[in-house]
Amino acid sequence: MTRGRLRALFRKELLDVARNPAALLPVFIIALVALVLPFVIALLLPAMTGQHLGDDRDLLRVSMAAGAHGDLSADALVQYFLFQQFLMVFLLMPITGAMALAAHAIIGEKQARTLEPLLATPVTTAELLVAKVLGALAPTLAISAAGALLYFVAIGMLADPGVLRAMMTLRTWILLGFIAPAVALVSLQAALVVSSRVNDARTAQQFGALVIVPLTILLVAQFSGTLWLSSATLALAGVGLIAVWVLLMLASVSLFDREAILTRWK
Amino acid sequence: MIVATGLTRVFGSRAVVDHVTFDVRRSEIVALLGPNGAGKTTTMRMLAGLVAPTSGSVAIDGVALTRGTGSALRARIGFLTEAPGLWDRLTVRENLRTYANIYSLANPERVIDRALDTFGIRDRAATRTAELSKGTRQKVALARALLHEPAILLLDEPTSGLDPEVTRSVRQLLEDRRSAGCAILVSTHNLDEAERLADRVAVLDGRLLALDRPAVLRQRLRTGRVIVRVAGEPAAALAVARGFDPKASVELGSVVLALPHAERDTPGLVRALVAAGAEVVEVRAEIPALEDVYLHLVGDAGAKAS
Repeated sequence: MTRGRLRALFRKELLDVARNPAALLPVFIIALVALVLPFVIALLLPAMTGQHLGDDRDLLRVSMAAGAHGDLSADALVQYFLFQQFLMVFLLMPITGAMALAAHAIIGEKQARTLEPLLATPVTTAELLVAKVLGALAPTLAISAAGALLYFVAIGMLADPGVLRAMMTLRTWILLGFIAPAVALVSLQAALVVSSRVNDARTAQQFGALVIVPLTILLVAQFSGTLWLSSATLALAGVGLIAVWVLLMLASVSLFDREAILTRWK
Repeated sequence: MIVATGLTRVFGSRAVVDHVTFDVRRSEIVALLGPNGAGKTTTMRMLAGLVAPTSGSVAIDGVALTRGTGSALRARIGFLTEAPGLWDRLTVRENLRTYANIYSLANPERVIDRALDTFGIRDRAATRTAELSKGTRQKVALARALLHEPAILLLDEPTSGLDPEVTRSVRQLLEDRRSAGCAILVSTHNLDEAERLADRVAVLDGRLLALDRPAVLRQRLRTGRVIVRVAGEPAAALAVARGFDPKASVELGSVVLALPHAERDTPGLVRALVAAGAEVVEVRAEIPALEDVYLHLVGDAGAKAS
């Protein structure tokens, strides 16, 4: 794999996405919802109605079950629970956003008839596919990271004291900074395999969605506390996901049939 | 230099390209002619390593084109595909820059500027390719194919969609590349272009029907018609000619007759004309146009196939 060729293709992918903001619109919408809705539920509505979240015994019980934070007030505990739940959206954002781009990656090139001149260059299949994956992942990951940063800043400024501190655990960072991008990478690569084997973007997205469902369930289970893995186990799982990505990449390269794409797709 | 040996490609049960053997040498332009579906694009794709032959082989400068050598050998090829295949959301310069970086060109901006100047599209450098006319898109695609100054050029309909002025400049450019030692294979439906440009012409219709210099191909299709131009009225000459061919006629002031054995009979015809007092200015065998040769070859192949 040549770094120069990879960089050239990656830049092209970024430019293409940057010139097509509509492709990222779903990610922006999810980010906006994730940034506004939790604050409306956890802060604005209680302030408007004068009711304290901590007075709702059922909600408090569920919140306490999600994690032991003895030093938080009842209101803060419920806020912590709600903000923690909405954090999941930021985990799913790079997956869902990048999936849309990746599903279109090979099919889009084929439909625009831009793939043939590209394949006639020294570009290898691995370079093409890695550039496609990174080109789809980078923008959505950047938006998700920016969204998550704003989310934490807003929590720090608006939520009850101690909520942000309670959320800032090693586990959260591993989930946000390692597991989520790794899951996104695996999902993307799977979508790309599908994209290079089927001949329309919708089919690729539907197949891709099948792949991300189990991964999404795992992520949700982590944050909801249904399946509680330690930080070390999560980090190990992250390494495992990267290994799965490498295997999927190798599979993508061997399954990418240049000839079939050029001669059989219309 | 690129050599195709016994190149065959079967799709389903149909051999689209059937045992095709030819080469394109350094400093040579070969025109690939053939009707739609004759296998021209498939042949080009096999030469570029995009489609694997069912049997046969391709060698570039003596190195066999395989999966292992493909990436390195493709760096020596400039391939103009049937469709320009430009990234519509990127500008002309961004399109070319991506390819310049793929080919790891030193000083890519200067190379791009030179290519833009060559095709007279420097003023469109910052324009997104989606906004370009068909002709300008074709120019950008050509500039892209030539960007890395490849030793081998495979061009599928290079002048398609271009106006006559640009077509002429593209031809000049290809002649310049030929002078620089480039081996050029041009697929075209334009027989006039093939005749003007090509050192050799390959006629393909699944199989390779002919491969030779245009002049030699024209010689191959002898019509047996002889044209006699005489000074003054052709009536006397026509009377003599009818002794050789009762259907001889006058066309555009010249006597035209059919001589199935022109080599043998023409001297006798000239002697008879002179003996009859005709002042013979010119006697020549009719040379068919490349178009006639092409239609004859393709028609023959079609008749045999059916």
